[in-house]
Amino acid sequence: MSYGDNQPFENLKLPLTWGVMIIVAGVCVVGALMFLGDKRGGLDAASYGNRGGFDGVAAKSNNLLSTPAHVVGDGANWLDDYFFAADENRILKKKVAELEKYRDSYIQARELNRRYEVLLNLRTEPAVDTVTARSVSVSRGPFNNNRLIDAGASKKIKFGNPVINEHGLVGRVVGVSPDVSRVLMVTDVVSRIPVMVARSDARAMMVGDGGGFPRLEFVRGGKDVLKKGDQILTSGDGGIFPRGLPVGEARRGVDGVWRVDLYTNRAPIDMVKVLKFEDFSQLPRADEVLRTPLVTDVLPPPPPVNITGIGSSASASSAAPGFTPVNNGASSSSAASSQQTPVTRPKPRPVNNAASSSSASNPPPPAETSASASSGG
Amino acid sequence: MLQGRHRQNTTRTRRGNQNASRALRRARLAKAVFDKRAPRRTSGGRTIGPQDWLLYPALLCIVATFVLATDIPLPFGWDLPEPVWPMILAFSWPLIRPSYIAPFLLAGLGFFLDYFWGAPIGFYVLCLMAVYGVTLLIRSYIVGQDLWVVTVAYGLAVFLFFALGTILTVIDTGMVPRLISVFEQMLATGVLVFFVHALLERYLHADVRFN
Repeated sequence: MSYGDNQPFENLKLPLTWGVMIIVAGVCVVGALMFLGDKRGGLDAASYGNRGGFDGVAAKSNNLLSTPAHVVGDGANWLDDYFFAADENRILKKKVAELEKYRDSYIQARELNRRYEVLLNLRTEPAVDTVTARSVSVSRGPFNNNRLIDAGASKKIKFGNPVINEHGLVGRVVGVSPDVSRVLMVTDVVSRIPVMVARSDARAMMVGDGGGFPRLEFVRGGKDVLKKGDQILTSGDGGIFPRGLPVGEARRGVDGVWRVDLYTNRAPIDMVKVLKFEDFSQLPRADEVLRTPLVTDVLPPPPPVNITGIGSSASASSAAPGFTPVNNGASSSSAASSQQTPVTRPKPRPVNNAASSSSASNPPPPAETSASASSGG
Repeated sequence: MLQGRHRQNTTRTRRGNQNASRALRRARLAKAVFDKRAPRRTSGGRTIGPQDWLLYPALLCIVATFVLATDIPLPFGWDLPEPVWPMILAFSWPLIRPSYIAPFLLAGLGFFLDYFWGAPIGFYVLCLMAVYGVTLLIRSYIVGQDLWVVTVAYGLAVFLFFALGTILTVIDTGMVPRLISVFEQMLATGVLVFFVHALLERYLHADVRFN
C-alpha cells in the first residue's frame, strides 16, 4: 500500500527486515556458543557460581513479594489454631499415649545399636550441622527445577550441601552468594542421586526429568528388589549425600517405569534445612577409611597375661555382651605371642602392611616387649 | 491603503490556501489510515516510541515472571503457574514492525530467564530468537488476518518454542524432560494469547509507515 507522502519510507522496508534478520542470526550464534559453553552435564561449582550477584538481587525482590503472603498465611494459621485448639489437644493426647509405648523401646534399641556399633567397630557418620532457611523463589518448569533460599555463604553454606525439609530430601546447593543459595531440586533434569531401597538394600539411581516423580534407573538386584510402596533412601554412594535421608516411595508409572513418589510432594516446600555435609573429605583420611583396622590396632594394651587364666577368660567371652568380647577376643588372639613374651604392647601397624593383612589367620603383629623397649631407651 | 489591503488580503489568501491544503492532506492521510478500521487509542496523534511497545512490555514481562516465581504456599498442593511471559513479545514484536532494538531486548529477556530460572546461559535466548526469527519471516501472512489465524499462529509458535527447548535440554543433559510437564507449561504459555491480541490491537497499526 502506498500513502502518498509516506512513499519514501518504503525504501526502508527491505533493508530493515533483512538487517533485523542478520541481527537475529548474530544473536542466535552468540546464544548457541554460550549455550554450548555452559553445559550442565558435569555439574560443578562453576556451573552456577557466576550467578551469585543476580541471585542475591532476585531473592530479595521475591522475598519482598512473598513476605505479605507469609504474614497472611501465618495469621490464618493462628486463627485456625485458636478456634480448633480443643480438638487438636484431644488428638494430641491420644497420640502421646500411643507414642509413649514406642519411646522406651526406642531408647532400648538405640542403646543396643550403639553397643553393636562399638562391638563391630563401625565407623558411623559424623554429626552434621544444619542451617534453616526459607524458600523465596522457585522455578518449576520442565527444563529447570530450582529454588532460591535466603541463606548463603555468610552462614557457611557451600556448594554441594544437601537440603531437606520436614518430609525428606529436597535437593542440593549448586550456587552460593553471601545471603542467598540456589538449590537444585531432585526433580531437575540434571539431578542424579544414588539411592537405595530400604527393604531390600538394592541400589539405584534416581534421575530427575522435570516432573514431580523422578525415575529410578539402574536398579541393581533381582526382580523382587523393588515393590510398590518401598521406601527409598539416599545410599550415600559417591559421598555427595549422607546415607539414609528419606526420599520417597517407589511407584510404577503408567509408562511402566519405576518412579519415586517424593515425600516432599506432600506439602508445599517452605522452610528447609541445609545440611553442612560436604563429601567424604569430612570423614577421616582416605587411607584410614579404605581399610578395615586390625583388631590389635584399635584395642588398648592387654593386661599382664596369666597363662593359666586365658582359657577361662575365653570361655567367658561368649556370654558377656558389650565391650567385654572385644577385650577377651584380643587377649585370645594374641595368646600365642603373649606366651613367649610375658608383657606385650601392640604396636600401631603401618598403613601399607595393614591393608595387605586384615584377617586373623595372618601372623600376629610385631610386638614390643617392655623389657626390650626399656633396654633400647 | 488599497495596495496595502490588497497585499494583506493576498497574504491571508496564501496562508488560507496553505492551511486548506494541509488540512486536506491530513484528511486524506487520516482516511487512508483509519478508513474501515476501528479507532485506535493511539490515534489521537501521540507518537508511539520504542519505549511504548518495546521497553514497557518487556519490563512488565520481567515483573510478571518475578511475581509468579514467588514461593507462596497454596492450598491443596497447588503451585502458581509458570508461563514464559517473553514468549508473547517474541511473537508480537515482529508482527507489529521489524525493529533493530527488539532482537537485542529479546536477547536480554532470554538472558534474564536463563539467570532467573537457572537454565544454561543461552537456552532461552535461542528459543526466543527462533520464535522471533520465524515470525518475522512469515509476518506478511499473519498481519491483517482474522483473530483465529493469529491465535493458531501463536499456538504454533509456542509449540516451536517448547520443541526447541526440549531438544536443547536433551543436548544439554542427555535426558528427555517429562513431556506432561512440558505440555503443562505450554498450556500456561498458550493462555497468554490474550495479551498477544491486546498488544497487536494497540500497536499493530499505530505507525502507518510499516503497513
